[in-house]
Amino acid sequence: MDQNNSLPPYAQGLASPQGAMTPGIPIFSPMMPYGTGLTPQPIQNTSSLSILEEQQRQQQQQQQQQQQQQQQQQQQQQQQQQATAQQATSQQATQVASGQASQLFHSQTLTTAPLPGATPLYPSPLTPMTPITPATPASESSGIVPQLQNIVSTVNLGCKLDLKTIALRARNAEYNPKRFAAVIMRIREPRTTALIFSSGKMVCTGAKSEEQSRLAARKYARVVQKLGFPAKFLDFKIQNMVGSCDVKFPIRLEGLVLTHQQFSSYEPELFPGLIYRMIKPRIVLLIFVSGKVVLTGAKVRAEIYEAFENIYPILKGFRKTT
Amino acid sequence: MPGGGRCPDCGSTELVEDSHYSQSQLVCSDCGCVVTEGVLTTTFSDEGNLREVTYSRSTGENEQVSRSEQRGLRRVRDLCRVLQLPPTFEDTAVAYYQKAYRHSGIRAARLQKKEVLVGCCVLITCRQRNWPLTMGTICTLLYADLDVFSGTYMQLVKLLGLDVPSLCLAELVKTYCSSFKLFQASPSVPAKYVEDKEKMLSRTLQLVELADETWLVTGRHPLPVITAAAFLAWQSLQPSYRLSCSLARFCKSANVDLPHPASSRLQELLAVLLRMAKQLAWLQVLKLDKRSVVKHIGDLLQHRHTLVRAAFQDGMGKRPRICPTPTVSTVTGDENISDSEIEQYLRTPQEIRDFQRAQAAGQAATSVPNPP
Repeated sequence: MDQNNSLPPYAQGLASPQGAMTPGIPIFSPMMPYGTGLTPQPIQNTSSLSILEEQQRQQQQQQQQQQQQQQQQQQQQQQQQQATAQQATSQQATQVASGQASQLFHSQTLTTAPLPGATPLYPSPLTPMTPITPATPASESSGIVPQLQNIVSTVNLGCKLDLKTIALRARNAEYNPKRFAAVIMRIREPRTTALIFSSGKMVCTGAKSEEQSRLAARKYARVVQKLGFPAKFLDFKIQNMVGSCDVKFPIRLEGLVLTHQQFSSYEPELFPGLIYRMIKPRIVLLIFVSGKVVLTGAKVRAEIYEAFENIYPILKGFRKTT
Repeated sequence: MPGGGRCPDCGSTELVEDSHYSQSQLVCSDCGCVVTEGVLTTTFSDEGNLREVTYSRSTGENEQVSRSEQRGLRRVRDLCRVLQLPPTFEDTAVAYYQKAYRHSGIRAARLQKKEVLVGCCVLITCRQRNWPLTMGTICTLLYADLDVFSGTYMQLVKLLGLDVPSLCLAELVKTYCSSFKLFQASPSVPAKYVEDKEKMLSRTLQLVELADETWLVTGRHPLPVITAAAFLAWQSLQPSYRLSCSLARFCKSANVDLPHPASSRLQELLAVLLRMAKQLAWLQVLKLDKRSVVKHIGDLLQHRHTLVRAAFQDGMGKRPRICPTPTVSTVTGDENISDSEIEQYLRTPQEIRDFQRAQAAGQAATSVPNPP
């Protein structure tokens, strides 16, 4: 059957919507499975679209596809009628019927089967034509995992210390009693800083994970031991954890402070970010217009993750719509 | 009849316990002399517990207004008058100050903080009535540090549990632009720089709305944006004479301080306008730059809604983002710590001696007595 151009029928429906697409929309990786969120890795694409918007775009494109197919069918019907006008009427009837049937067949294959040979211009070609929308999009996890940036922990070395001796005999220590009544000691691996007080208590900061913080604290205790003090390692406790992440879309902070006024504090004259004090879990979040979020005040890692999963749907409600 | 008591007057032992108006007395039944008098309190043990109480722990504080509070209330009223606020604002601000003073943390605060508290109460009152007062203005009037002000302000809002609305941008534009001295000719304002107030105000408002829509206002101090918008509005109303005038010169003529971020806000706003101009066919051919686009601001503002939608439909200033892959460390926290690693942090005896010598020399140098 003669077609308008040289493209095979199943690809024809694709060609036209391409023109309708505004150039420059970034390509969503087709390998990302539908409804992801279980893989604990940040989204590797360069676009600023969230998964929800991707689904909407998919639906729109499929609707466009449908419309194109309908137009194609009408065109083909007209063509066929012209072509068969000169033929016998009996043959006409059967041909038209078979033509229509074959078109319907083609249109069905277009919608359900993945398209061989067509470049993956559309996200997730495995998506069925009748989109199965997830029951509650809000229940999908964000797919973004906050990264821990700083851990503050304390430990009791269990003996009184002479800070002057420590400052004299350790290379990595600084002690300025007029400024602060503790020795500031630093080690290279893990890169951390410790404040060692004369009571024997110590604060360790700068580690990127709980285990690193514990290892660093043990190293400091070992240094103090080697300096001649009977240091022990008692009551190690993580006091604070700081995490940060990027939701990758700009956020209307003025809107957020209006609707979540009892939790938020936004004073652009004082600080560019919005300070959100979440009740459960008890975490303070600094939310910036660029989409970067800093979470602090956690005692365990799970609190940071939980707080972010709580705030993500709220933030999605305030991203730009233009 | 208690035993062992003798009347000092007649020597009789007949002493009777009697109570006179609830005060117990020991009276001689012969001559009527009062031997001992009770105390006008309930029990003896109660009296034993009586002590001197400091003023701060008595209820005297709640019963009168302290001098410090009186001073503060006077300052609140003075500040309201200086700012020429409506009279109802004064009462509200005074009420906030009194409410804050009920809290012990405020009562015991330093005078500097109490001074700043005055400004905070006035600011909260203005914010709640949409009166555009900036923190910068208050800090200038009170000679206060913005850091101290911000700390006290946040503490006060939390303490009183208040819901303070954000600064009203439209009102701030009107007030701020009205303060520009450009509406009459003067020695510092040449004739070509004089502008009609209403025209400039309406155009500045439109430019500020445009900035708000295109993400130039969120998270930033509002005043530099308004300065930049006012400058562009003023320039665009008579570009032929005013394009040569710089932002600094404009602020000087208008007798207004130039806030530092205003120049970057200006560049950002011009970039937005250029992007919008690319959507208009008759401006595309002109190949506009940051100077020539000013002449067409009027047209761009007229069609700003459609142009913004067209110019920014595919996202705003997307930069290719390099997602840092999270480094997965395999530290368990219980690894062995080698001695050599720890020893790198300890000084050798020679180093200790050198250090001590250097320290001693340093101390000797600082404590050298002045030569005669």
